[in-house]
Amino acid sequence: MAEDLLKKEEMDENDELLEEDDSQKGMFMTFQIGKEFFGISISYVNEIIAMQPIAAIPEVDDYIKGLINLRGKIIPVIDVRTRFKMEPCEYTDRTCIIVIDVKTTMIGLIVEKLADVDTIAEDSIAPPPSLGRKEHEHNKYVYGLAKTEDNVTLLLDPEKLIKQDDIVAVTEESRKEEQA
Amino acid sequence: MAEEFNTESMLDMFLYESGQLLEKLEGIILEKQDADCFDDSDINEIFRVMHTIKGSSGVLMYENITKVTHKLEDVFYYLRESHPDDVPHMELVEKVLAVSDFVTGELDKLKNGDTPDGDEKQLVEDLDEFLGRLKGEIKKQGIEMPQANRHVEPTQFYITPVAGDDSHFYRISIHYRSDTQMSNLRAYSATYALKEVAEDLLYTPDDILSNEASADVIVAEGFHMLLQTKSSKEEVIALIDSSEAEEINFDELTKEEYGNALGEFGREDAMPAPQPVEAAKTDDKEAKKEGPKPGDYVVKTKEAGKGKTLAKNQPKQQSIISVNVEKMDALMDLIGELVIAEAVVLQNPDLKVPGLELSNFQKASGQLAKITTELQEVIMSMRMMPLTNVFQKMRRIVFDVSRKLGKDIELEVIGENTEVDKNIIEHITDPLMHLVRNSVDHGIEEKAEDRTSIGKPAKGKITLEAKNEGGKVYISVKDDGKGLNKEKLYQKALEKGVIENKPMSEFSEKEIFRFITLPGFSTKEEVTEYSGRGVGMDVVVKNIQSISGRLDISSVEFEGSEMTLVIPLTLAIINGIVVQVGNSPFVIETASIKEFVRVGEDDLIQEPSGEEYIVLRGECYPFIRLNEKYDLPDSVNKIEDGIIVVLEHEGSQVCVLIDKLLQEQEIVVKPIPPYVRKVKGLSGCTQLGDGSIALILDIAGLLMHDGERR
Repeated sequence: MAEDLLKKEEMDENDELLEEDDSQKGMFMTFQIGKEFFGISISYVNEIIAMQPIAAIPEVDDYIKGLINLRGKIIPVIDVRTRFKMEPCEYTDRTCIIVIDVKTTMIGLIVEKLADVDTIAEDSIAPPPSLGRKEHEHNKYVYGLAKTEDNVTLLLDPEKLIKQDDIVAVTEESRKEEQA
Repeated sequence: MAEEFNTESMLDMFLYESGQLLEKLEGIILEKQDADCFDDSDINEIFRVMHTIKGSSGVLMYENITKVTHKLEDVFYYLRESHPDDVPHMELVEKVLAVSDFVTGELDKLKNGDTPDGDEKQLVEDLDEFLGRLKGEIKKQGIEMPQANRHVEPTQFYITPVAGDDSHFYRISIHYRSDTQMSNLRAYSATYALKEVAEDLLYTPDDILSNEASADVIVAEGFHMLLQTKSSKEEVIALIDSSEAEEINFDELTKEEYGNALGEFGREDAMPAPQPVEAAKTDDKEAKKEGPKPGDYVVKTKEAGKGKTLAKNQPKQQSIISVNVEKMDALMDLIGELVIAEAVVLQNPDLKVPGLELSNFQKASGQLAKITTELQEVIMSMRMMPLTNVFQKMRRIVFDVSRKLGKDIELEVIGENTEVDKNIIEHITDPLMHLVRNSVDHGIEEKAEDRTSIGKPAKGKITLEAKNEGGKVYISVKDDGKGLNKEKLYQKALEKGVIENKPMSEFSEKEIFRFITLPGFSTKEEVTEYSGRGVGMDVVVKNIQSISGRLDISSVEFEGSEMTLVIPLTLAIINGIVVQVGNSPFVIETASIKEFVRVGEDDLIQEPSGEEYIVLRGECYPFIRLNEKYDLPDSVNKIEDGIIVVLEHEGSQVCVLIDKLLQEQEIVVKPIPPYVRKVKGLSGCTQLGDGSIALILDIAGLLMHDGERR
């Protein structure tokens, strides 16, 4: 019975996503890290909250900053700057957390500064050049470059950003545990 | 929409009801397994269960379930009607269990969204053969044999439910628009809705579900119902889904008109009877008349005030509603939030202005605290379930395994009403099953002679006991079998290389018994179907530890052994002490704290390798500096300045250095989000009174980690 319900909910959610995709197509939340502008498809974004105290977790990757309490929900936050292996910087009052929902996992992204919500036409998005950029590393999370007005926005794939491997590793581990 | 909704809820209903019925059925069977035969009420009950499942599976068109239950129903019909003398009771018990297993299997498939495709042929043949034999035996004795259930043409007379003074009679005709799709299902949903309030309900055409052509009839001629109910006209109208309906005619009838109208609806013998007739009897006749069709749902007379009883429901289920576990969990979470929010308000720093007069606030907050505590207790008690069902499964296992192994074993069950949190029940069922199997398979002696020769009764005995003591639940599985042989265990452990090579005298009795919980250890030479795959006890222990419980083993050779699971009553809320290390708060479960001490540098022993130990009252304990282990900045480093917490888990102790104690409080345990890799030594997190997050230390994890490091 419960499974049926769950399935139904999942389906509902998918429906919702699809619907949202139509109206939110091409809309991106853009933010600034260092000098670069980055964009995330708005369909992933749940909400934006101000910086708040983070409870650190020991023995995890350094870009996982810890846990925050989002109205009773405990969600992990990652620092996008550290994720990109940039020098960490001080959190100011412009720093904020974008809460995204990726494959039902809620995760907060710490970004230095929010920029805007932009509509980016599909034809203005170009794939990232495979050669030429200094660090190939970054290209993993960047799936496209978009020209807006006078600067270039790097479009991020949140699924890759939160590191696919992590999620897979965790589920495999838990599955193993369950089997045992 | 409406019909979709209905089939779905019907399936849910079917799964739920059938599941409950099967559980009840197993209960009856196992209770009577040792008796010589079933008594009349049992036979009636089993018959009724089979009949109900047959009926509802028929409606949902699960043919294999229908066939199997129908066959068993035949068998019990025969038993009920002709009371044969020498029924092979054991065989009968096995047959019923086989059917119950089959149906359970199919229901599981349905639950997982698969099609129930189990092959019923073998089972049906077996039952046929069994029934044939029963009848054959009777024939030999020359007693006249009644025909099987289906072939009896019962004298049909219908007894109209007694109408109370406040009953109303209505004739309802629904005319659907001519382009209405599946009007039969719409009509069915109307009858389904009306059943809730009906004392009696008749409709025509009456084969709406089984006959698709009835849809055309309904569109052409309308759908007519005759309803006897205590509800008012408005209430009834509200129940009928009027979408797609072109016209609904609603006439109130007098009692006499109603009586006359019954004839039109195919009840020849329509005179209202003066007294209600025994429900089971009516049920039976009616069922035969209507078969497994929607007509099966025709509602019986019932006492005033019991608005919702369907014919099949038992009166005792009325005070119970089933709630989706997710909703319960959500409520539980919310109440957890409330407890935290309460703390945030009551300990708000804004209130701590010196000289502020707050007496009214204090009174009000006292009241609030009382209510939230009560609320918490209520939700906890809602999640508590008796162990009855779990223990019932154990009965089944003892029954199955002991018969397969040819051992004569009696199972005694004590305290099955002990209540435990639902989550915990889910976690202990498998381990308990394993322990019981072990007792039957390994515990009790192979042969009865082995028992009688040392003065024990030939029949083995297993005692399953649950009790609630001091916030913990003890569930023990005790057998009076051969017990554990320390020498053998030790030799075996050495052979398998699961222990260090030390002389036996260096291990305590408990330690030796605990060998059997080590991975890769199984004392049984041969692997049997039930146990002895060598993956057993360590998994049991692991499962139990995952709900912060433990397994105690005690045994006396030749007298028997006892395995006791000690588990907490609930997982969701624990009593904890909040401590601080550096800038991070941690929570330690109060139950695992032995003491807090301050020690000096003198009590610290440092090994050349860097390992540290603390000597307390002449005993040496391993020592963990949380700040170093978890790399926490700004924390106390000199042990004189901090506090040592002595923690105990399953008999081993560890000392942990912390900076300071903050407070003691009830902690609502939340899991660390799965995105974050599992950290050893942390079991979850929680919100503190000020909304900040604290990590919960897992003592077992800390000890394990410590052990590995060494």
